[in-house]
Amino acid sequence: MRFTDFTPYDLVLLLQGLGVSAGLFVASTLLGGILGLSWALLRYYRVPVLAQLAAALAELLKNSPVLVQLFLVFFGLPVLLQSDLTPVQAALITLSGNTAAFLYVIAVSSIDAVGREQLETARVFGMNRWQVLRHVVAPQAAAFAMGPLTGLLVNQLQVTSLISVVGVLDLTKIGVILNLRTLKPFIVWTVVGLLYYGMAKLIARLCGALEHRLRAHSAWRGS
Amino acid sequence: MINMEAVVKRFGASTVLDGVNLVVAPGEVVAILGASGSGKSTLVRCVNGLEKLDGGSITVDGHDVSDAKQLRAARKCSATVFQLFNLYPHMTAVQNVALAPVEVLKVPRRQAEADARTLLASVGLAERADAFPSQLSGGQRQRVGICRALAMQPRYLLLDEVTSALDPEMTAEVLAILARLAASGTTMVFVTHEIAFAREIASRIVFLDQGRLLVDLPTAQFFAPDGGLALPRIAQFLAKMTIT
Repeated sequence: MRFTDFTPYDLVLLLQGLGVSAGLFVASTLLGGILGLSWALLRYYRVPVLAQLAAALAELLKNSPVLVQLFLVFFGLPVLLQSDLTPVQAALITLSGNTAAFLYVIAVSSIDAVGREQLETARVFGMNRWQVLRHVVAPQAAAFAMGPLTGLLVNQLQVTSLISVVGVLDLTKIGVILNLRTLKPFIVWTVVGLLYYGMAKLIARLCGALEHRLRAHSAWRGS
Repeated sequence: MINMEAVVKRFGASTVLDGVNLVVAPGEVVAILGASGSGKSTLVRCVNGLEKLDGGSITVDGHDVSDAKQLRAARKCSATVFQLFNLYPHMTAVQNVALAPVEVLKVPRRQAEADARTLLASVGLAERADAFPSQLSGGQRQRVGICRALAMQPRYLLLDEVTSALDPEMTAEVLAILARLAASGTTMVFVTHEIAFAREIASRIVFLDQGRLLVDLPTAQFFAPDGGLALPRIAQFLAKMTIT
């Protein structure tokens, strides 16, 4: 057997890479989701100073390349903090921040898309701002958000491939390694590409099912 | 008692309400008439605190609506039915009706939903209680809107042109319910273009003209030749409305 041949162990490597990519994607989606939603809440409650800060931060994050942000975090932050950051930590911080910024934008526009008369009605009936958010605004905004959110998540999955440049052994990095060893780029990158494609389809499916549930009220069922 | 004193409301340069005085006592059914743009809807929106006053004061059972804390108490005394229904589209009819009782009045959910079903049944919607607004006709939606207001057991029911988005048949079904409420002693303040209906159920009629309260008369007197009809502006208005 020549060293350029594929081995069964390559499959294990690919799956490990897939796991790292998926893990980072899920973790950064959760962290970024919490962060982005709390920024949107600052705006909903019109918290002075903090709301403007959140908007400015989101503005910075969504208008600069993720790769530049990654370098800033991986090379810059340790200098600033006088302590080392592992590639995975740097990747998690960067991806979470980036997801948070875009999620903030989606959350804000979805909240604004809920009709003003809905807010007025709920207020007239004596509900406080939190009750209005929880029962009237959030369920409708969530349904509005699902389309853009699906796009964002699928895109953020692809963006995780950038973290390979700082040495995280994600799916793309595994692809680089296999490619260097086997010298069969067409096969390696086709397989890697298909694995990303599969994950992206899975995300889109899950989001689609959720959107279907959230929009149950507007589905046509005859009268 | 709803007490409006010298209420002034401006939108930019235009003065929509110009010193309106009006008192509504419990048990009264007061119809607010007037041409489009005369300030009728704005007056209702001032009472439930959706518009800030630029002058004067409004109290509902003694609670000043201009004060944030008292507004909450004032809002518990009244309930509003809207021209375009404003139902929550993601909730069924029962959920629409039960939401505020559960959240604001702290009625247990099961009880609130049972009450909601009873209310919906009383307006002929027993079968449609679990339908979403998008699955209901306009008249059915407005009946849900009325139930949602009644579920708050308000002392005052505010109705803002509740039939103007409905065709004549649906209008009739909604007006029938309002007539029943009026007969049962519910205090109502309603803005309307349905002159005949106002004449039928209102105990008093208030006529707004360009943000000013032109007359405030008992219904019979308002339509009497030597009462409201003696005023050219009202005679002209009524003549136009009855033709169309």
